[in-house]
Amino acid sequence: MNEKPSVTVERSTLSLHKLGVFCGLAAAVWLGSAEAPTKLVNSGYSPFILSMGMVMGAFVARWTVPTLLKGTGFLFSDLRDKPHLIVWALLAGMLWAVANTLTIFAVRNVGLAIAFPLWNTNSLVGLFWGWLLFKELRGSGIKGWAKVLGGAFAIVGGAGILALATSQQSSNAPGRAAVGIMAALGAGVLLGTMYIPYRKAYISGMNPLSFVTIFTFGELGTVTLLTAINLGGAGNMVTELHRARTMLFWPFLGGFCWVIGDLFQNFAAKYIGIGRGIPLSNTNQLWGLAWGALVFAELSGLSSTGKLLVFTGSGIMIAGAVAISMAAPLDSELTNWKQAMDRECERYGLNTQQVAAVVAGDDPHAGQPHHRRWWEVLVMCIAVGIFVWLALGTRAQHIYVNIPWMIVLMLATLVPLGVCGTLLYRRTRFS
Amino acid sequence: MKRSTLIAILTDPQLWVPVVVLILGTTLLMTLR
Repeated sequence: MNEKPSVTVERSTLSLHKLGVFCGLAAAVWLGSAEAPTKLVNSGYSPFILSMGMVMGAFVARWTVPTLLKGTGFLFSDLRDKPHLIVWALLAGMLWAVANTLTIFAVRNVGLAIAFPLWNTNSLVGLFWGWLLFKELRGSGIKGWAKVLGGAFAIVGGAGILALATSQQSSNAPGRAAVGIMAALGAGVLLGTMYIPYRKAYISGMNPLSFVTIFTFGELGTVTLLTAINLGGAGNMVTELHRARTMLFWPFLGGFCWVIGDLFQNFAAKYIGIGRGIPLSNTNQLWGLAWGALVFAELSGLSSTGKLLVFTGSGIMIAGAVAISMAAPLDSELTNWKQAMDRECERYGLNTQQVAAVVAGDDPHAGQPHHRRWWEVLVMCIAVGIFVWLALGTRAQHIYVNIPWMIVLMLATLVPLGVCGTLLYRRTRFS
Repeated sequence: MKRSTLIAILTDPQLWVPVVVLILGTTLLMTLR
């Protein structure tokens, strides 16, 4: 079936830095909100099954959202132009899966208060790789360095304070502290390294929607394997999944929200680099905290010292985000970004002019009407069917929920989606 | 995939950094279990 030619809308002239900052902040909102549905799950299920449910939901969403926005024809054409990047997209998915499993071990052994700040250092690891491998921040001057590095450290520090203030588990942590700390640090290194494929794909002109479509295979495959190993075999995994049938809708929904956040994070990595984009999206903890405190009343018994720590941590985190938002790259840094792009074009025989246009958000193919295929309707129907089927079998969870605050936060989550989605469309046509 | 592309992939340090980290991370995970 053919799509009707769309009405031509003038491209926005919004700077790519501002667009990337908006994407990073929208990513934080959605990645943080992705935690909310999983809070509706009563305890008693293996964390591996919860994680797997989320990844399965993400798998469904990662096929439907790109198909809906761009169509499979565009995605396959993008992948055909840069087939070498399939390797990196799969690799990124595998890195995420191993890192996510490590975080489960970390929380189990040392509690969230110690584990979270340790794996939140992934933004600093990403910043290092961005500098080393993609020439990010080179030529940015002392002010640029101070804003980005200072901002990234502030966000990690703020995360540490928030985790300390809000964690109920720190005092009950089991004795295997060294194991937990190693797992958390390992997760931080893996997640930070996962941004190498992100950045490589985007300076090669790949569309983030194509990237996540492949990423999800590496992610689901590895998570399935690791879950089967950790639960003692594929049979046990299937049994556990079956047992969790009545709650699977919630991690699925979390996975769906997570994909929206992840897409914004990918666009941020594309337009402002991983050194700036990842710390911004790592402020997602603020939104997770808002859901926990306002909707689920998780902080109702918090002492005045705890409340002071929450305000201090949030303030430091926001200050870090503001500092990074104001660190637009200078021309001297952009010259270095271009050198990194030229390296990819030369090495993999890409069309430099075309890649430069895509990197600048002006993909020549993005605004053109594209053919819709019959199987895209099928993909949509299957995705919607899975969610409806899971929703129908879901039992009510007896958990306190503050409805007015839930409505406020849902609106606060939808507004960035609308605003940032519109900005992305008007400036880049989702390229 | 062309042979030249395959060689370009296999000799790219930007491939081996994540591969080595993935191997080390998986080893760590299996050890911690």
